[in-house]
Amino acid sequence: MKLLKASTLQEVAATVGAHLASHGIRAVLTGGACVAIHTGTYISKDADFILQSVVTQRALDEALQELGFVRRGAEYVHPDLPFWVEFPPGPLSIGDDLAIVPVELTIGHVTTLGLSATDSCRDRLAAFYHWNDRQALTLAVEIARVQPVDLEVIRRWSTRKGKTAEFDDFVRRVGASTLRARRAPPTRRPSARGRQRRGSRRG
Amino acid sequence: MKVKALGSPFGSLTRTRVLVALTLLGTSYQRELSRLLGTSPSVVQKALSSLEGDGLISGRLVGRTRTYSMNPRYFARTELGAFVRRLAEADTQLQAGTAELRRRPRRAGKPA
Repeated sequence: MKLLKASTLQEVAATVGAHLASHGIRAVLTGGACVAIHTGTYISKDADFILQSVVTQRALDEALQELGFVRRGAEYVHPDLPFWVEFPPGPLSIGDDLAIVPVELTIGHVTTLGLSATDSCRDRLAAFYHWNDRQALTLAVEIARVQPVDLEVIRRWSTRKGKTAEFDDFVRRVGASTLRARRAPPTRRPSARGRQRRGSRRG
Repeated sequence: MKVKALGSPFGSLTRTRVLVALTLLGTSYQRELSRLLGTSPSVVQKALSSLEGDGLISGRLVGRTRTYSMNPRYFARTELGAFVRRLAEADTQLQAGTAELRRRPRRAGKPA
């Protein structure tokens, strides 16, 4: 996928992830761009990737330069795009949970590794639990409404964190009707945008 | 050669003491940490930025002040917290400094 001025954040994120993979650099998309892929609506300005390969700064710079990105401090900016790419410190985790299994997220014909819908939901909920970030709660609800998420995994994790009341708040907002529909067998194919291929054990 | 009263397992003495101070205080900001540690604001800011870059602490804007605390989402925060609390026990000077800071609310209009 060629990056154009009109490219969406989802397309940029998928292209960067796929391009890095073609260079043997394993990078997992997290954060707001991952939410954008799962919901198809949320607008973020940056694509955060956690590196899972040992890679030199120079190799990373050169790989991203091929897509037109230039490093400015810790961020990679593109002259034609309003989005930037960042590599926050690893490891890939949600709080102290390191057992995160990335999934393949496909945009058009381009595939990148990223957080599953369930883990992306937990990632947003973590911000709500720790900082009472209501925007993060709204995004977690949005993911759970649009994508199938494993609520039992989220419930157990929330309970371990002592956030049962907050989890109940989240479930109330997702809505009973949505959750009932989730339990029913799927009757239609999921949309191409944000579809997860070869999904992890966590939906 | 300057004799260090405390080791610097986090790369520099300021980085280590910033972590200790944030563990003791919960939340703080550059100027308060600078006063507390007796270090210049720019050196403290450099330590804060690098610790934030490493994911050990997190910062957010409150009004016009950027406040910092230990990153609750850091994967090893429990272990890190335990280690830093142990370091805090050894830094009696910092303990005394934080004990002098008023953190409880103060009603508006009361004489200072």
